[in-house]
Amino acid sequence: MNVIKAKSFTENGLDTRRKFSFGSIGVWTALFLLIGAPVLCFLTLGVSPRLFQQGPEWFTLKYVHEAFQGFAGRAIFNSLWVATVVSIFAVSIATSMAWVIHRTNIGARRFWAVAMWLLLLLPTWMMTLGWTDLLQPVGGLQALGINCSYIYHEFFGPLGIVVVLTTAALPFSYFIITAGLQGLGPEFEDAARIHGANKIQTFKTVLPIISPAILSAIAVSFAETISDFGVADTLGYHAHFPLATFILFKAISSYPANFSVAAVVAAVLILSIVPPITLQSRVMRKNTFAVLSGRTRTPRVREFRKGPRVLATTIVATVFVVAIGVPVLGAVMTSFISGQSFYGGHLHLTLLYYREIFNPPSAGKSLGTPLLLSDQLGFVVASCTGAFAVVMARRLVTKVGGLSQRITDIFLLGSIAIPGVVLAIGYIFFYNLSFITHHVINLYETLPLLIIALIASSLPGQTRFMAGPVSQIQPSLSEAARVHGAGRFTAWRTTNLPLMSRVLLWGWLLTFTKTISELAIATILFPPSQEPASVTIQNYLANFNTGAGTAMTVMTLLEMLGIIVIALGIYRLVTPRGWRRIGWRGIQS
Amino acid sequence: MSNETARKASSVHFENVGKTFGEKDALNNVNLEIAPGTFLVLLGPSGSGKTTLLRCLAGIERPSRGSIFINGTPVAGEGGFLPPEKRGLAMVFQDYALWPHLTVRANIGFPLNNSQLSKPARTDRVDNLLDRVGIAHLADRYPNQLSGGEQQRVALARALAAEVGLILFDEPLSNLDADRRESLRIEIATLTRESGATALYITHDQSEAFALADKVGVLKQGELVQLDTPEMIYKSPANAFVTRFTGVSGEFAIKQFKKMGDSLVEVYLPFAPDITVEATKIGKLSKDANASLFVRSAGVSIFPETNEEGIPGEIRDVAFNGRGYEHVVKVGAAEMLTKVYSKHRFDRGVNIKVTLDPASCFAIDPSTEEM
Amino acid sequence: MKLTTLKLNGLRKKTIAVSAALAVASLSLVSLTAGAASNPGFVLYSAQGYDQQAVDAFNATHPGFTVTLKDDSTGPLLTDVQAEGNNPKWGALWVDGAIPFAHLDQIGMLVKNSAPKVAFNTLGKANLPADGSFSPTGVTETGVLCYDTAQVSASNLPSKWTDLLTTQYALGMNDPSVSGPTFPLIAGVFSKLSNLPFNATTAQVKAAITKGEAFYQNIAQKTQGGLVVNPTNGVTLGAMQNQAVGMATIQGSACYSKTLGSYKTLGEKYLDASMELPGVIGIDAKMPAIVRADAAKFVAWLYTPAGQLAMRTGDPTGDSLFWPVVGSTLANPIIPNITTTNPYAINPYTWAPYETQINNWFDSNFVG
Repeated sequence: MNVIKAKSFTENGLDTRRKFSFGSIGVWTALFLLIGAPVLCFLTLGVSPRLFQQGPEWFTLKYVHEAFQGFAGRAIFNSLWVATVVSIFAVSIATSMAWVIHRTNIGARRFWAVAMWLLLLLPTWMMTLGWTDLLQPVGGLQALGINCSYIYHEFFGPLGIVVVLTTAALPFSYFIITAGLQGLGPEFEDAARIHGANKIQTFKTVLPIISPAILSAIAVSFAETISDFGVADTLGYHAHFPLATFILFKAISSYPANFSVAAVVAAVLILSIVPPITLQSRVMRKNTFAVLSGRTRTPRVREFRKGPRVLATTIVATVFVVAIGVPVLGAVMTSFISGQSFYGGHLHLTLLYYREIFNPPSAGKSLGTPLLLSDQLGFVVASCTGAFAVVMARRLVTKVGGLSQRITDIFLLGSIAIPGVVLAIGYIFFYNLSFITHHVINLYETLPLLIIALIASSLPGQTRFMAGPVSQIQPSLSEAARVHGAGRFTAWRTTNLPLMSRVLLWGWLLTFTKTISELAIATILFPPSQEPASVTIQNYLANFNTGAGTAMTVMTLLEMLGIIVIALGIYRLVTPRGWRRIGWRGIQS
Repeated sequence: MSNETARKASSVHFENVGKTFGEKDALNNVNLEIAPGTFLVLLGPSGSGKTTLLRCLAGIERPSRGSIFINGTPVAGEGGFLPPEKRGLAMVFQDYALWPHLTVRANIGFPLNNSQLSKPARTDRVDNLLDRVGIAHLADRYPNQLSGGEQQRVALARALAAEVGLILFDEPLSNLDADRRESLRIEIATLTRESGATALYITHDQSEAFALADKVGVLKQGELVQLDTPEMIYKSPANAFVTRFTGVSGEFAIKQFKKMGDSLVEVYLPFAPDITVEATKIGKLSKDANASLFVRSAGVSIFPETNEEGIPGEIRDVAFNGRGYEHVVKVGAAEMLTKVYSKHRFDRGVNIKVTLDPASCFAIDPSTEEM
Repeated sequence: MKLTTLKLNGLRKKTIAVSAALAVASLSLVSLTAGAASNPGFVLYSAQGYDQQAVDAFNATHPGFTVTLKDDSTGPLLTDVQAEGNNPKWGALWVDGAIPFAHLDQIGMLVKNSAPKVAFNTLGKANLPADGSFSPTGVTETGVLCYDTAQVSASNLPSKWTDLLTTQYALGMNDPSVSGPTFPLIAGVFSKLSNLPFNATTAQVKAAITKGEAFYQNIAQKTQGGLVVNPTNGVTLGAMQNQAVGMATIQGSACYSKTLGSYKTLGEKYLDASMELPGVIGIDAKMPAIVRADAAKFVAWLYTPAGQLAMRTGDPTGDSLFWPVVGSTLANPIIPNITTTNPYAINPYTWAPYETQINNWFDSNFVG
């Protein structure tokens, strides 16, 4: 054991290069192929349509001008203010909720943490669908005899858009801030109180400690909101309140498509994330993530008395009822209420739409094959994204303060603001370039390209999601394993993997469910004869088969829930006890 | 220690080792030879490069320049780099680095996973170690159910488990309170020596270094400035830095000095121009140099004011430490001597006389130091 | 040591199991994507409700090559076609409306004279371009007044387009930049209001646009109910069910489809012009000869009795409600005789250049 063989030394062909170069080149090549090249191709169209045979001009600012005028200009303006308002709302609510759920004795704390996860998994178009189904003049509530026309008109406007987008952005902010709160031990608060600060002063003193988390949450919420298409396409349209992603989609989907205007709008969306990122990186400087010390500091739980406890619990419950309860209730009701019963005014429940899921009416498609394909896609995309995101997250947290780290950070955050539509069209332009298809690889119109695009769209968010937990793992743990005889892989497997297993699992589930409900990329890139479930569902909904479409939505949600439950069950069964008692506590499962 | 006899302690050799982080040199041209079985302590303030040196030896960092050899085999340098798991060493970390998802038993047993030992033999060895570090009753607990001292005992047992020829200690006591530090220091000293392994231990605490070491190396800004036995370092420090870092009672500017021989000088202090103080000369002293007198506390004695000899002074503080009293003495206008021991108590404000033992006084010109 | 070793061994097994599962899943996906033959066949981009049935029937009887279907809405399909540019993947495109084909023809993307030499009836001939660069496969109509009999009594219904200026009900219609059949509707209304000849001059068209735009502005601003725009037929009918609109000018087959389905109270009324909306198929000029030949075989087959049967029965309560372009136009008994519907044809080549301009005008005024 103590004798080192000279042989092993030379045989290893040891790497004398600088550690980062090989990895960096690999990672950046992958990011370039996944995100950079396709998006750049698309954005170039904004000023040079001729480059991709989309117009006569080699260089023109005509489309920049066009994008800021009239309808499109209004939409850009709307998107900017909505994203700003939503990110502020979402982060305020998320901060309060993170504190109440993790730092007080409110009722059902575990349940709320799980509920936050469910909210994260709910796509915005499903949320809107549920709200609409419930509130519309002859919708679910009216079928129950409740008149809600006054809300309906308010809801179909900026108010509803802000409400739905805020609830959608809430979980992102919540998880980022929860991670920040974990770095906030009671000593900071104690020190402030002891030195004579009142409650407000204490809050002001302690706030800067979690301000990196808050700013990070604002930046992510802003990026997620401004790139959301689900709400823009549904509520935004009906409310005659154009949002930029819808304009972008419209410019792309009308014929002949105006890719150049779409590219300019996309560039505006991506650039709009610059101010929040700048703000964030100014405040964060070198301490990107609150690194926890090895010894667990148990944060103090504030004990509410009975009255305030009930009040706080009720408020949190109300947030979840609004965020999850209403849309799910709306969707479930619509899926059971027969179309005609809206008319007679009496409620008539039916299972017809559920039968139609797998025995569709003529010319309709069964959900079976598409859902199976979506599950497979979800499985592969989630697994690949998870692995890549771990690598990226490690880079993000181990090179804290360095130029490479900052560029990676900005690139990933900026990528969150790329709407799926942009990525998908970029994929067509880049991966269907004659040069690429004839001399490199012909992936266009194949399942692998759809998979790659889905990975590209989930990678930035997933990396951000993992960065916090990864940063909390002390490097000494794997160093200790290496020093005591474990190879690189064994060290990772026996130390980092167990510590990250929970976050990996949830990250996997997150990508899995998001992939299944993803619509923008799926609808543009799905290969012939291989239609994912979200496209099938959307076709039903668009063809005024709301009942069957909603039933399929509910069925898909149930399937996702089932898989989450199964995955969590398997995790409990197969992992050693030690794995489950440590590590990331984004959820108390 | 079933196969203690089979074990061979490792030798370690650093050859012109340097390490640069960005613009900053953390290690500069370090040459160091550790004979098999030696307990070497590297002493230095934070930022002196001692942790970097240790991590380079462990294989967690790669040196930018120079070579490192273990048992004569290159492990880092021009020829390549041997990963940590192939270097045949063990390590105790400052933050313990216990794997939170493994029990105490599994943590200690980890280094044996790749060994040729049979399962019963492994279990035996872990049980034995649990006993020896006194935590057998905690075997099935998880790290975060243990106190800091208990956690570090687990880390120590883990380092001993594989019975390697080289054990590294990265400030293992710095996160512990004084009592635990003392008892664990003794265990580290005895168990490591029992194991026969070569040890490299880093600390910024001079008393810890002197207590543990066969040899002490002092690091300053990435350079090894002195390597010797604790006694020699104390009695014959290489320069002002080493002297300061290994404990002085006072440091005074010298008004004038006179050579008495090769190594002895007579010096005159500004606040006691009439009194001759004998001191050991360290390094070069030029006539016009701004030399200083460094006084070890061991060489300072205090007497009542009535004593004929000695520099007059005044007691500023007195502290009882069990065996006697430690005083702070003001000499001159603002100059102080600290940690002045006496069996008798001199109260605050009392005037006294101070005598200095030439062997504990060093005349050094700090400006001659290269850094 | 037993415990640790056991755990680590277990862990190793789990890692292997997970890797194996991953590998199996990736393989199953790869197998889904595999498949190539000497005759590559072609990919049909289609938005027709009966396309799956037609392709299945064709593939079952034509073993030489395989037609692969990419079935989606018209919008995404045209987006793909345009984005693919000079490196297209579609062998044939089959959607409703001749205007996109006129545009594709003008930029040289379609095989000229590809229309099969079959005996088109008068309806077919009216929708066949002079250069044969695409073929009508059936005709539906857009601009049919679809109304909810529970909200609107038959006596209050308009009978001419100009009557819409005085209606008391909210009028629904689709957004032309989202719904494929809506630009032909608007172009038809503009033509009809100015009684444009089939081959109108640019000046005539421009005058007709000015007049037509004023017409819609008046409906939106001066009528009691106003103009309510929704993205597609389906959503517009949903708005009618929700009583947000009482009547709508949409594609006739969509209205029939819902009458046959869950929305029994719908009625159809034909105004003084119903715009013919041919289902159109065209062949990709950029494809190799073998692919073009395959596509031509499929197009020709559509006009055979077997092809016609697949089209007429594939989506019996939806897109199959069309008037045939070969044989008798009366082939489908559910829909009325086309001669009773005041059919009105526009020249796709005349209107194609104005599509973007008119759609932008529409969005700015009625959507945002």
